[in-house]
Amino acid sequence: MDFEVTYTPEQEAFRAEVRAWLVENIPDGLEQPVDPAHLSLEQYQKLRELGRRLGAKGWLYPTYPRAYGGSDLSVDFVMIVEEELDRYSLHLPPYYDSGGRLGGASIFVWGTEEQKQYFLPKIFRGEWRTWQLLSEPSAGSDLAGVQTRAIRDGDFYVLNGQKIYIGSLHGCEMMWTIAVTDPERPRHENLGWLMIPYDLPGIEVRPMELLTAGGEGGASPGLKHTVFFDNVRVPAFNLVGGENNGWRVATTHLELEHGGGGMVRRNRVVDEFLEYCTTTKRNGETLSQDPDIRDDMVEVYIKNEILRLFGLRTYWLSHAHKPRSYEGPQLSYWRKTNALEIAEVILRALGPYTMTNDAQWGPLAGLLEHYQRSAIVGLHPGGTTDIQKVIMARRIGIGRTDKEQAGRLR
Amino acid sequence: MDLGLTEAQELLKAAVADFVQREYDKNTLIALESTPTGITPQLFRKITELGWLGVVIPEQYGGEGRSLTDAAVLFEELGGGPVPGPLFSSSVLGALTVLQGGTEAQKQALLPLVARGERVLSVAATEADYGWRPEKVQLQTSLQRGHYVLNGVKLFVHDAAAATHLLCAVRTAPPSNGGSRGITLLLVDASTPGVGVRTLSGWMGQVDEVSFTNVQVPADGVLGGVEGQGWEMLEAAALQAIPILCAYQVGSCQAVFEMAVAYSRTRIQFSQPIGRFQRVQDHIIGMVNQLDAARWTTYEALWKLESGRPAASSVHLAKAVTSEAALKVCDGAHEVHAGVGVMREYGLTLHTQRSRTLYHYLGDARLHRRRLADALGW
Repeated sequence: MDFEVTYTPEQEAFRAEVRAWLVENIPDGLEQPVDPAHLSLEQYQKLRELGRRLGAKGWLYPTYPRAYGGSDLSVDFVMIVEEELDRYSLHLPPYYDSGGRLGGASIFVWGTEEQKQYFLPKIFRGEWRTWQLLSEPSAGSDLAGVQTRAIRDGDFYVLNGQKIYIGSLHGCEMMWTIAVTDPERPRHENLGWLMIPYDLPGIEVRPMELLTAGGEGGASPGLKHTVFFDNVRVPAFNLVGGENNGWRVATTHLELEHGGGGMVRRNRVVDEFLEYCTTTKRNGETLSQDPDIRDDMVEVYIKNEILRLFGLRTYWLSHAHKPRSYEGPQLSYWRKTNALEIAEVILRALGPYTMTNDAQWGPLAGLLEHYQRSAIVGLHPGGTTDIQKVIMARRIGIGRTDKEQAGRLR
Repeated sequence: MDLGLTEAQELLKAAVADFVQREYDKNTLIALESTPTGITPQLFRKITELGWLGVVIPEQYGGEGRSLTDAAVLFEELGGGPVPGPLFSSSVLGALTVLQGGTEAQKQALLPLVARGERVLSVAATEADYGWRPEKVQLQTSLQRGHYVLNGVKLFVHDAAAATHLLCAVRTAPPSNGGSRGITLLLVDASTPGVGVRTLSGWMGQVDEVSFTNVQVPADGVLGGVEGQGWEMLEAAALQAIPILCAYQVGSCQAVFEMAVAYSRTRIQFSQPIGRFQRVQDHIIGMVNQLDAARWTTYEALWKLESGRPAASSVHLAKAVTSEAALKVCDGAHEVHAGVGVMREYGLTLHTQRSRTLYHYLGDARLHRRRLADALGW
C-alpha cells in the first residue's frame, strides 16, 4: 500500500508549474474571512477570477476531458493541484460551487452530447457558478417526494414551487433542480432534472436566516436562500437525462453528496485548535500540559485521523475507479458526527472561550465559535446522518441479499 | 497512492484464508480456545512448513524476509479464525526483539530455529504490578559467578506455555539519569529447573503466570550482550510488532462483522429478517465504522514503518483505535445476535474473548493515547 502519492519527475515538474502559476495568478489581496458569512463581494469576485483563471488552464475541474473544459488529469496530478491550493487554504473550486461539482458530474454522466457541449465548458471553466436546488419545505430526507412541478408546454417546462437551503452569498449564474414532470406516474419515475438560468422571469430568491450556512467542509456558502418559482419557463433543451428520468440522474449527484468522491483536505479547525493548545499559556502553563486538555486533544486528534483516512480511502476508490459500496455515506456519516463530537470536546477543553468571537477574548479570531455553529448546521446538507446510515445498510446488505449499488460517477 | 494490496499479498491472503478455513473449523477453534498452548503439534508443523513462522525474519537468518504489510496480511487472516497459539508472540514479537537487540551470533543461532519452529519465544515483561512501562519491571537480578539468578514472578505473559524460551525483562540497574532504564532482556530456556509456567484460568486464552525459583541463566543469555538496553530493544521491536497484532484484530473484527451481516439476513423475527430493523442496522453500521477505523489506522502505520517515515505516532494511534474497536465490534455483534451469540458453539465468543485478552497486550488504549500525545511532541 502507499498512502501518499509518489511523484514522478514529470509530476514534480507539474507541481513546480502549478506552484509558479499560483504565485502569478492568485489575485492580490485575497483574504478569507473566518466566518464565511463575512465574505465581501470584492473578495468573492477575486475568488471567481481565480476560478476563471484555473478554468482556462483546465484545472478547475481537472479530471474531466479537455473537450468539456477539464484537462484529463489523473488522480495524482489532481492531488498536486489540491495540495498546492491548500497551501493558501483554498480548495478546488476556490469558491462555493457544489452545484457545479455535482451538476457537472450529473450532466457528464446523463447529458446528451449536445447538452455536454453546451453546459459543461461553462461550469468547468468557471464562467458559471451553479446552485443546486433539492430540498423543499416538505421534502428533505424524502427527496423523491418533491412537489415542485415542471410541466411540459411546447418547447418549455413551466416550473412552479419552492426550494429551501439554497445557494450561497453573492448569487449564481445557473441553477438546477429536480421537479415533478408527470404527476400521474409513480414515485421515482415522475421527475425531471433541469438546468435553470438564474435570470429567468418568475424566479424569486430570498435569504434565510440560519445558525450559519453550510458546514460540511470545502468552500463554505456563507448564506442560504429560499427560491420561489412562479411559472418560470425553462427551455426543454435543459432537461437532462430524458423524460421522467430525473431520479436516476440524481443518483449521480446524491452519490457525491453522500461522500462518494472522498476528501483529502486538512481540517483547519482541528489543526488550529491543537496548535492553539500547544502554544497558549494560562496561569503560566501551556494548555497541552494540563492532563485533562491533553486527553481532549488526543480525542480530537484520533477522531480526525480516522476521518482523514476515511476521506483518503474514499478519494482513492473514486479517483482510481475502484468498486465502491458503503464507503461514501460512511465518510459523510463520520464527517458529520465527528464534527459534532469534536466541537463538543473543544467546548469541554476550552470552556466558554469556545463560544465567543469577541475581538479581545475569542480564540483564533472566532474560528472555534463559528465551528460550534457549523458543526450543527453541517448535520443535514447532503443527507442527514440517519439517511447516510440507511444507505450504508442497503449497500452492505444488512437484512437483505440484494445489495444496492453506489451511484454512477463516470 | 495505492490503497490496494499487491498481487502477491492477495495471493498470500487467499492462501491463508483457505488454510484457516480448512484446518481451523469452528470445533477445532473451540477446542483450542482454552488450552495452554492454543495449538497442536500437527497444526504447528503445517504452519511451519508454510514458512509463516519466518514471515518477518530476514532470509539471511532463515526466514521469508517479507514486508511488515505482508505479515499483517497473514495475521489479518489468522485473526479471522481467530487462530490462537504462539504465532504472533514468537515469530513476530519474539523474532523482532531478537532482530532489534540480539548480537549477530544470537541472531544467527536463534532466528533460523524460530523460523523452523524449533524455538518458540515468548516475551515475559509484565508483572503483578501490571503495565507496559519500564518502571513496572521490578524483577531484579545481577550477574554472580557467571550466572544471573532469577527469583520472582512474571504475570499475564502471553503464550509462555507454548514457548521453549522466554525473553524475560529483568531489572539489572535502577533507571539512570543518562537515560538507561536499567532493564535487561534475558533469554531463558523454559526447561531450566525452577521455571514454572501456569496458564491462567478464566475468560482468557494462552495467558500465563511464569515463576522463577533460583533459576540460573548463563551470562551469554543477555540479549545484545550488554546489560541495561532491554527496554529500548523491546520498544523498537514493539513499534514494528504492534501493527501486526492490530492486523490480527482487524481480521477478527472483519469476521465478526461478516457474521453479524449474515445473521441479519437469516434471522427472522416479526416475520422479517432482523436486518430490516433500523435499530439492528445501527449496531452493524457501528461495527463497520469501528472495523474500518482499525483497518486504515493499522495499514497506514505499516506503510509509514516500511517507507521509513516517522511512525511512532501512527503506531500508537493504530493500537489505541484497534484495541477499542475490537471490543466495540464484538459488543455490537452480541447486540445483534442476542442469545445465539453467547452459545459457545456459535463461535462469536471466541472473538469476544480475544478482543478482551489482546486489549492489554503491548499496552492498552489508554497507554497508547498518552504515548500518542508524547510522540506528537505536545
